[in-house]
Amino acid sequence: MARLGIAALRLTRVSIPLTMVHAGSMYVIQKAERTVVELTLENGVTGLGDCWGTPDAYALLQRFGREMLGKDALNRLALREVLGKSTYDNRHGRNGRAAYAGLDLAAWDAVARSLGLPLADLIGARQRESVEVVCTLPAAIVPRAVTRDELTEHLDVLSNTRLVVEFAQEQVRKLGFRNFKLKSAAYSPAWDWKLLNELKEAMPQARIRFDPNANYGPATATALCRRLDGLGLEFFEDPTGEMEGLARLREAVRTPVATNMWVVKDEQLAPAIRRRAVDVVLGDLFMWGGIDALRRMAKVAHAFGLKPALHSVYETGIATAANLHLAAALPEVEYPNDASLHFMSADVLAEPQPVIGGRMRVPQGAGLGVTLDRDKLAALAIETAEVRAA
Amino acid sequence: MAAPVRLAYTHVHSFRLASGESSGAEALAARVRLEDGTLGYGFTPNDDAGVARDMAAWDALGRSKGVALPALLGGSHRERIPVEKDDNPAIAPDWPALRKDLLAGRHDLLRIDPFAWGSLEQVVTIAASAAAFDLGVALLAPNAHPWEIQYCAALAATFRGDDTRIVLRISPERNEFEVKGEPGIGIDWSLEPAFGKIQWQG
Repeated sequence: MARLGIAALRLTRVSIPLTMVHAGSMYVIQKAERTVVELTLENGVTGLGDCWGTPDAYALLQRFGREMLGKDALNRLALREVLGKSTYDNRHGRNGRAAYAGLDLAAWDAVARSLGLPLADLIGARQRESVEVVCTLPAAIVPRAVTRDELTEHLDVLSNTRLVVEFAQEQVRKLGFRNFKLKSAAYSPAWDWKLLNELKEAMPQARIRFDPNANYGPATATALCRRLDGLGLEFFEDPTGEMEGLARLREAVRTPVATNMWVVKDEQLAPAIRRRAVDVVLGDLFMWGGIDALRRMAKVAHAFGLKPALHSVYETGIATAANLHLAAALPEVEYPNDASLHFMSADVLAEPQPVIGGRMRVPQGAGLGVTLDRDKLAALAIETAEVRAA
Repeated sequence: MAAPVRLAYTHVHSFRLASGESSGAEALAARVRLEDGTLGYGFTPNDDAGVARDMAAWDALGRSKGVALPALLGGSHRERIPVEKDDNPAIAPDWPALRKDLLAGRHDLLRIDPFAWGSLEQVVTIAASAAAFDLGVALLAPNAHPWEIQYCAALAATFRGDDTRIVLRISPERNEFEVKGEPGIGIDWSLEPAFGKIQWQG
């Protein structure tokens, strides 16, 4: 097998309604837009990828994809170099990395399928058959995609916290979750304090991570996290912004501090290690820009005493499966995976990927071990592009 | 990151090298047989058989899939690896000490003898750390043996940092080494007559 040339690429931008409104400090959303990547090799094998579905990312996927046609997928590392670092990094910000990651994932899947290896085995070596996953809890339970003003009015009524607690308890009953991520609107420390205490009281055994997405300022975040320190939360995820802010907050609390926002590329890892800015690097496949970058992060973070973990947000079953394979392949990943597929009202895959007992099974078979369902894809599609050589 | 293979049998054997700077020295060779019957080979100039077994498992996986080692690890960043003479000592295989030195900024170039450090995983982790700290990596072929150089080249092809090289204790015959595309590690095992005479078991 001298080479596995990339023969064709097909991109489909999809819109998938969520089963409920998800509110946090960055968004109040009721749908997720993604791009599904189908990368076909000259041997006829097709690999699947998944990526952000924003118009910017979709446009970059087409452009980067054109550059990759004809290239050897066995040499996945060189695909990244085809684009040039400034192209996928500085020039287009995180969109460039996300677009590259979507194509990279499809290439890894296509190669793994061609070699008859599960993706986990191509990444490292499959260490486990199922992975514990985390249930995201919206900052508030609201009936529709409200405005920020409407959301803050809701948060001003502190008794509304019980809706989130009831929702979490329902997830325990229905899917057996033991791990939760509470999104915060970063509007009201009083709300967050009350809600987290109620969650711990209602579910004393649950592991809970708290994620204001860096929207609290350093002083407010530090004061709040100090108060929360005795609750025994799993970690504070981006309680405030920038590496220096995280480092200073970390010095003030005992609870581990995590980030998926400020350590998101190779160049930020060594400064974070040296500054002792965080305890946990929540690596997101699409922010880190592909499997090799995420794998290297896990190895280096672990080697220097940080804990790597896997972040995700409102993805299709393709990226969900990729994260399960990554967790299975990387023994350095000890924390449960973020997961949100159970909040998607539909998926593009033929196989359901249920959460049972708070865990998801790593798909079996070659590559990602999943099958694209064309009818489901068509039903969710906004637009489709066949990528052809320029 | 052990090779994801199911081993049916492993055999390690010692033999004497005839090539390179270590002519006459003892080395260890390993042969593994996968459940599907594929054979893979590895070696080490040292006395840690684990290195030879680890190499043999990766070799077998590559042979069974018909691809070279770099393709299994993600691909190659380069097709040719610079080779040069370097008399500086390699970094002792002491990971806690190396971590401390990296944090203290005591290195610009990590001189690593992959046979001394151990598994492929360990070497890959060091290379990833070097890339994170923006340092070069020089893989030492300790006896300038062609097998050592080929193993170093297969690994070095996959390292991200742009300052990646192979170093020898002697002046090399050429200043770069082409990364081979043969399945597995790509070592020409026929170079050593004694290797061909090993009575492998299993």
